[in-house]
Amino acid sequence: MATDAKKPIKLPRTAKGKKPVYFDPVTDKLLSMIMTLMGELSVVRDRLDTVERLAEKAKVFKIDDIENYEIPDEVNAVRMERRAAYIARVLKTVQDELDSLQQDDGADGAAKK
Amino acid sequence: MLQQIMHEMFPTPNHDEEARQEFVNDFRMHLATKVCPGSVPAYFKRVMPAFVKEHGREPKDRHEIRRAMTRDPFYQMWSAMQRSSQEMVWDSVIDSVERQLPDLIAKAAVLNGKGSLTLDPELEIPKYHTAFDIHLQPGAYHTDVVQNDLAAGAVYDRGSFIYAMGGLGEHNDGMGRITRNFFRTRFPGRKLERVLDLGCTIGGSVCFWSQQEPETEFHAIDVGAPCLRYGHARARAIGAGIHFSQQNAEALNFPDASFDLVMSHIVLHETSRTALQNIFNECYRVLKPGGVMLHLDLQQRWGQSPLDAFLGEWEIYNNNEHFYGQLKEIDCGEVAVNAGFDKAKFGIHHVSTTWQDDQTPYGESSFQLPIYLAEK
Repeated sequence: MATDAKKPIKLPRTAKGKKPVYFDPVTDKLLSMIMTLMGELSVVRDRLDTVERLAEKAKVFKIDDIENYEIPDEVNAVRMERRAAYIARVLKTVQDELDSLQQDDGADGAAKK
Repeated sequence: MLQQIMHEMFPTPNHDEEARQEFVNDFRMHLATKVCPGSVPAYFKRVMPAFVKEHGREPKDRHEIRRAMTRDPFYQMWSAMQRSSQEMVWDSVIDSVERQLPDLIAKAAVLNGKGSLTLDPELEIPKYHTAFDIHLQPGAYHTDVVQNDLAAGAVYDRGSFIYAMGGLGEHNDGMGRITRNFFRTRFPGRKLERVLDLGCTIGGSVCFWSQQEPETEFHAIDVGAPCLRYGHARARAIGAGIHFSQQNAEALNFPDASFDLVMSHIVLHETSRTALQNIFNECYRVLKPGGVMLHLDLQQRWGQSPLDAFLGEWEIYNNNEHFYGQLKEIDCGEVAVNAGFDKAKFGIHHVSTTWQDDQTPYGESSFQLPIYLAEK
């Protein structure tokens, strides 16, 4: 049993017992990941909502100011660049396959499957 | 989600932990009300016609329906999401408990009040707790990670509240309210000197009883030390006086004929066939003559049709409630008679789960739960 007060406590995170297979092990994991991401997006949205309400309460800005915000061109350019990088990052696994398909020698193992 | 009443031992979530817990609650509510009901049309429109086409008859039992339904894409999706959501319930709570555990242990050490705590480090944890973690709580009721650990109890307090989607009430004591209302309706003037609650976990139900019956001496036992440590501190935090002790309900340390009432709340289906008989035997032994045995548990019937039976079995196969399926087919009257109870003094009574206004456990509309009742 852990007695070192400085060592971070790690409680068990996985339930003991056989886990059923619903679709197949890979799809089951993907679904579980999507649900976790749904949860985390909801957490971030709630946190942002708290920030907006606190800002309005502290008279930093009004929540309506967000709706009425006109995006300057330079801000739009920064956002477009960030969105493009974000999309590319998420779709990297697709891009990787495309890249290997486009290689002349076709030596990539994944492409030969 | 309904707000749970805070107390000194409560594992209070921070902003994001609470947002995560609220999400899990809302997601499960959506699954229960908007997605789960789709299993019925999926069965009648797709699964059953395909079965009839292949076999020339309808499925004859829940096992045949299960084999067909677990290949249906809609049912697969609901079932997989339901399983994941159950894992997320615990995960969302473990964050807060892990973060605050040293503080909670320190608070428990200095809380004064009524009641007592007696632990037995030598107690053997029964296999039906160690073989798999019941309803997927990682580490179940008994796993100690640090000294004076109470994490399993704190996780259970908040996790069971979210699992029930707030349906156990702001004090997490809905089951105790159901049994006490039932008991006091049936035995209005019965004097209770000593009462024992079996498999109490954190003592949510027995705390309600003790608040309503201040003259009675309440004892509560469980095999899980971290749940008992938390339950003892929690009871003190809310001003309830309970004598908690670490014991196995199959082999109690109490002398013969020492209680007026021995009860349990949603415990029997988490044991085993052998344990069930042992528990009834011990209830008979420790009850005074005329004393009452009262067990509230999950619905025992399989339902009117094979489809009803199938729809009622999900927790057995997907939520580590393995004995529940066997319990549904056991004649508890026979178990009571084997324990020594008079058959004429045993009965199964069905109680509404609406314990207050429209509050019901599991966030569903009201349904019936059985109470196994016997008088010695």
